[in-house]
Amino acid sequence: MRLAFILGEIGSGLRRNLSMVVSVILVTFVSLTFVGAAGMLQMQINQMKGYWYDKVQVAIFLCNESSTSAGCASGAVTDEQRENLGKMLESPAVKQYISDFQFESQAEAFQHFKDQFSNSPIVDSVTQDQLPASFRINMKDPEKYQIISETFASQPGVETVSDQRQVLERIFVWMNGASVVAMGIAVVMIVCAVLLITTTIRLSAFSRRRETGIMRLVGASKTVIQLPFILEGVIAAVIGALLASGTLWLVTLWLNGDLSRQFLNTPFISSAQVLVVAPVLIALGGGLAGIASLLTLRRYLKV
Amino acid sequence: MIRFENVTKVYDPNARPALDDVSLEIERGEFTFLVGASGSGKSTFLRLILKEDRATSGSVYVAGQNVANISSWRVPRLRRGIGVVFQDFRLLPQKNVFANVAFAMQVIGKSRSIIRETVPEVLKTVGLEGKEKRMPHELSGGEQQRVAIARAVVNRPGILLADEPTGNLDPITSMGIMGVLDKINQNGTTVVMATHDDDIVNEMRKRVVELRNGVVVRDEAKALYTSMIPVVGESRLLKDASDEELDRAPGGQQ
Repeated sequence: MRLAFILGEIGSGLRRNLSMVVSVILVTFVSLTFVGAAGMLQMQINQMKGYWYDKVQVAIFLCNESSTSAGCASGAVTDEQRENLGKMLESPAVKQYISDFQFESQAEAFQHFKDQFSNSPIVDSVTQDQLPASFRINMKDPEKYQIISETFASQPGVETVSDQRQVLERIFVWMNGASVVAMGIAVVMIVCAVLLITTTIRLSAFSRRRETGIMRLVGASKTVIQLPFILEGVIAAVIGALLASGTLWLVTLWLNGDLSRQFLNTPFISSAQVLVVAPVLIALGGGLAGIASLLTLRRYLKV
Repeated sequence: MIRFENVTKVYDPNARPALDDVSLEIERGEFTFLVGASGSGKSTFLRLILKEDRATSGSVYVAGQNVANISSWRVPRLRRGIGVVFQDFRLLPQKNVFANVAFAMQVIGKSRSIIRETVPEVLKTVGLEGKEKRMPHELSGGEQQRVAIARAVVNRPGILLADEPTGNLDPITSMGIMGVLDKINQNGTTVVMATHDDDIVNEMRKRVVELRNGVVVRDEAKALYTSMIPVVGESRLLKDASDEELDRAPGGQQ
């Protein structure tokens, strides 16, 4: 009986305040979409890190005839220097950090270069001896790059030690920035949503002050009086959260459809990962609406 | 049933108190008129009984319980034992007569079958048989007030507070309402009615408590609306006086 009564009250409240309820739904929808987008960008970053960090290598580029750096003052790398570097990589002090390494000769480097830029006229102006030979190292822990760099950078015959990870890092910094911006917009929108919910609940409490006054006088409990208002706000916010989740799901569909055909090497987050974000959004929307309603009622609905 | 012990209520520390050291007892089953000019403290008196306000000092006892000791989550239980009727009826305009009365039972969780059984009974008591389906705007003022009374007593409270229930009604309709209140009082409910209506007070001949500037200036049994000699200290004795004594007293004849 009491449940049916409370449900009836919620229904009449939502109907009476329809335009405000719709605006609450839309504002929570937009704000939670931004929250979700920020979260999913982070997921995308983690996914790409997991995918790429297994593949990226540390490269020790060896001097060639045209090298200009200080370490190459004595000209191109000699066979002896090269063997020496190979032995260092095999030594236990270094070996504990790397899982394996290959040597890439100038000929191989030129072949890779031609493959990579097969459509570009630059291939015609590059010759084999302009490209450096290199050791390609797969790290056990990519974070330990610094050790390799320190050990080899000053060795004779080494032009430079480069970490491909640093190139990726730049992409991730950009993506991180985007997710921070999304989060910032989300925070502003959430403030809007909370204020709007507060106003809506206030209006709702005002338009039903006759009912609540009578409920108070005949001894209705605080729960029975306040619950319809609180649930009104929570229901609107949860609908907004569901819309936001739906939107994010559509975005992942697009990522895995059109976009994954264009960027074959990029691992996109799957639609299933929306299932992780959605409950968070719903809990966040519902929770914020509930707290905002409760605080508003404490002020505007005497019990 | 209701006992005020040296109750003072101050709203604004710079103004005089709304109630000033009021001590008063209203017995179970009594019918009491609360008279006095606007601002004399009648409404404050009623609000303190409902624990809508807290007394600045002194104690208010309702049904033997000091209301100051009732925790906020148990205030609803206190209010279930008290029915309230107002001058402006306060019906819900979009609900019909039955639904208006049933509302008071729904919100405290009474089952549908009990509501279906009780509401028609109460409507019969207040003389609104067969008008269950009417909307408030289709009723006369007197009928609307009857609905309000039905709503106030449908949960069988021990106390009925009426704040100028006849203030918006013509004299004949008012007498009808008084008949309903009297009937409810006969059934054992303690009734406290704040009023300006001298005709009604004079007609009913019930206990009259007069407030002036927050002080009880008169408390007489079977009294009239006004008294020639307001006696404060002896008023408690007068309440217990017999009819003959009262007839001889100058205040009773006026």
